Order: sequence, then C-alpha cells, then structure tokens
Amino acid sequence: MRECLDDGTLQSYCDGELSGAHADGITTHLTQCSSCSAQLDELMSANDIVFAALSPEFQAVVPTERLRQRIDDAIAVGPVFNTAKSSTLARAGGWFAALGGLFTLRPQAFGYASLVAVLAFASVFGLAYWKSTSTQELTPVALVDSEAKAPAPAPRAVNPDYTEVNPKPTPVPLGYNPPKSARPSSNSASSVNKTVARVKLLPGERSYLKTIAALDSTIKSSSDRPMRPELQAEYERNLALVDRALAAARSAAKSNPDDPDAAEFVFAAYQTKVDLLNTVADARVYNRQP
Amino acid sequence: MSGQARALIDSMQDNIATAATTSLSFDEAFTLHHRAVFRTARAVVRDAALAEDVTQEVFLRLYRNLESTPGEEWLRPWLLRVTLNVARNTLRGQSRSYARDNEYHKENYADGWLPAPEEDYERRMAIEEARRALEKIKEPMRSCLLLKQQGLSYREIATTLSVKETNVGSLVARGRKEFARVYGKIGGK
Repeated sequence: MRECLDDGTLQSYCDGELSGAHADGITTHLTQCSSCSAQLDELMSANDIVFAALSPEFQAVVPTERLRQRIDDAIAVGPVFNTAKSSTLARAGGWFAALGGLFTLRPQAFGYASLVAVLAFASVFGLAYWKSTSTQELTPVALVDSEAKAPAPAPRAVNPDYTEVNPKPTPVPLGYNPPKSARPSSNSASSVNKTVARVKLLPGERSYLKTIAALDSTIKSSSDRPMRPELQAEYERNLALVDRALAAARSAAKSNPDDPDAAEFVFAAYQTKVDLLNTVADARVYNRQP
Repeated sequence: MSGQARALIDSMQDNIATAATTSLSFDEAFTLHHRAVFRTARAVVRDAALAEDVTQEVFLRLYRNLESTPGEEWLRPWLLRVTLNVARNTLRGQSRSYARDNEYHKENYADGWLPAPEEDYERRMAIEEARRALEKIKEPMRSCLLLKQQGLSYREIATTLSVKETNVGSLVARGRKEFARVYGKIGGK
C-alpha cells in the first residue's frame, strides 16, 4: 500500500472495523510511512481524550428500578387506543387504576371503592346529571332501551354493541327506578342518535365491549359454584356503581361530543369495569375467592 | 467425534443462529438496553429527570410497536435512534435548567442511588466540562461520539444515524479531533 491513508480509514483501523487483510495492509503501510504514523498517533491521542472525558457521563448511575417502575406504571394505565392524548388520559387512567386497585381481592375494599367513586363522579358529573332530563340514560341498558324505542328512523348504529353485551337487563343499581314512560321527542331522539354515533366512532370502544362481554360470560359460566353471598352483594353493588359511572361518562361525552376529555372518561370508566370484572373472573376461574 | 456429539454441536449452532435473528421480549429489551437509552438521553438533554422522561417514552414506543420493531441484532440502533429523536424534541420544548438538574440530584441523594454530594462533586464537574465540549460539536459527529462511546459498531452507528457506513470512520475521527481541541480550550484534562 503506497498511498497515504485518510482519517476515516485510520479511525476504522483504530476501532477494529477493518477486515483482516485490509488491516494487515495498513499495518504494513504504517511501518513505512512516518506521516501516516504521526496522523495515527494524533487520532489515538484524541480517542484517549474523548474516551476519558465522556467516561464519567456514561458511568454515572442509571436508576434502573425507578425507570422500570415508571414504564410499568405507564404501560398499566396507558391506553392503547389514543396515544396522542397519553398525558391527560394517563392521569385519568391512573385515577381509575387506583380505583380499580381497591376492588382487588379484599371484599371489604369494595365499600371504600364505592364511596370514592360516588364522591368523585358526583363532583365531576354532577352538572351533567343536573342538566340531563333523560334519566333513562343512567345505565347503558336504559340507554339502549330508549334508543330502541325512539320513533326516529335513524339506524341503531350503536345498539348491537349493547345488545351483544347485555342481551337481557342486568341488575339495576340500588335505589334506582328505571323510568318506563319517558320518551325523547323526535328531534332529541335523532340528536341523541347522531351524538351516540359520534361517540361510537371512538376507536377502542368496541374492543372494551367485547372484553366486557367475554368476562361477563366467564363469570356466568362458573355459576355452578355460588359466590359467597356478601361477596356477591358487594360485586353486584359495585358493578351497578361502575355501570352508573359509565352511563354518566357516556352521557357527558354525548353532551360534549367535541370534548376529547369527556370521551377519555368514557374509556376510563370502561377500563374500571373491565378491571372489576377481571378481578372477579380471575377469582372465579382460579377459585381464589374465600 | 461420535455422531451423537456432532449432532449436539450442530443443534447448538442452529440454536445460536436462531437466537441471533429472533426478537427479544420487552423485558429482555429493557434489561439489555435501558442503560444505553438513558445515558444517551442524558447526554443529549443534559438533565437526569428529563432523561428519565425520554427513556420512558422510548420504551413505551417499543412496547406499542413490539411486533414491528427490528430483531435483536438491530434493536439497539432502533432504540437509540428513537432516543436521539425524542431527546432532541424534548430539548426543543424545554429550557435547559441546570438548577432543575441540581434539584433532581439533591432529591436522589436522599434515595441513596447517587453518591453523596461531596464525593460526587468532582465527577459532576468533569461531566459538565465534557457536556460543554460536546455541545460545540456539530451533528452528526456529536451523535457518532455518543454512540461510539457506548460501543456501537460502525454498522450500528450508520443505521442509527442514517449515514453511510463507509463515512462513519471519518465522522468519528473528525468528531474526536474537534472534541479534543474544544475540551482542551475549556480547561478539560
């Protein structure tokens, strides 16, 4: 090799990036060329300086456990359907995840969860409730019912989801009397259908409904082993509570179809219901209940 | 060599070949690469708390795209490429605050994962000088230095930075020479 070497080749030689034959040729050249040899010395000196200077930065402690915890937490509450709104939704999801945590394993925790949920939803959705004169929207079942009977010829775009999940009426919340005579006007019915259709368009809702249906089916399929009565009562009360929260969130989303936060609360409420059903289904399947 | 031994060696080679092309699980990917991601992020954003934010975002992206991310061989370049992008975007949206970084360190001394302030002072000054020198180096040479420092091959660096592999040696050489010059000027050892 007669031609002198450029910095890039010499650097590649230093870094062991060249093939054996190529590297051998350069070694031979360096023994014969003082210019290239001096250039190599200069590069190696710079390499030493950079390596020593950057070493403290790259040897500093990495908070592995905290990073892992943060990422696990973010994954646990992170929605898969709307990553663009991750920050707001993560906060809402975190709140609901904390609420969902109250449902796990200890039956007495259901009581605390109920109290927290009632207070929270009463404050957040109180205004929505106050303004809502259509009390039939308090539960998803009632919502379906009212839409099914609505005189407007609009297609029941959303209803199949609900009929799929709730083929028959589920136990209603304690103290709740579903109105039978309330009928929305034709105008309001079409308006409701339009807004419901917009809510339905939110991605991910159908997958929640399918998940809920599957969990519901799992719980019901193990009905040969009766749940302990007090646990059953707590479960039904909390399920009703979550359904009310879900209906309220849905109602708020319908009233504010352009508000992304309202839609996010719907999904957060779905997640809470899934968490509750999941806990109960696990306990039923794996026989962890007392 | 017996036929049985030969068969065993053959199967081992097959296993190694398979392992080289298979994808890592999320847990494995985190365990292997979170340090490189965090350190690269911290070197760019110069703020440990922000570097944690960046690391979280990078691994969340990995989690969401686990099916479509490259296999084990190219995962590190992919992660560091995302890290550099997220870190630069983060930097654009933040005013750098050394005070905030200092506060972060103070909080974490109490947690016990950083050495005591007096033991750490000299090291932190050295890091600060290196960061100031690094800031003077233009891209993509600066990123080349960061990636080379973490032991990436030229091929991995080329993939991470979308440059030609044949140019990496030249970029590293220029970057290191420039760094040594600037670092000497600002009083580095």
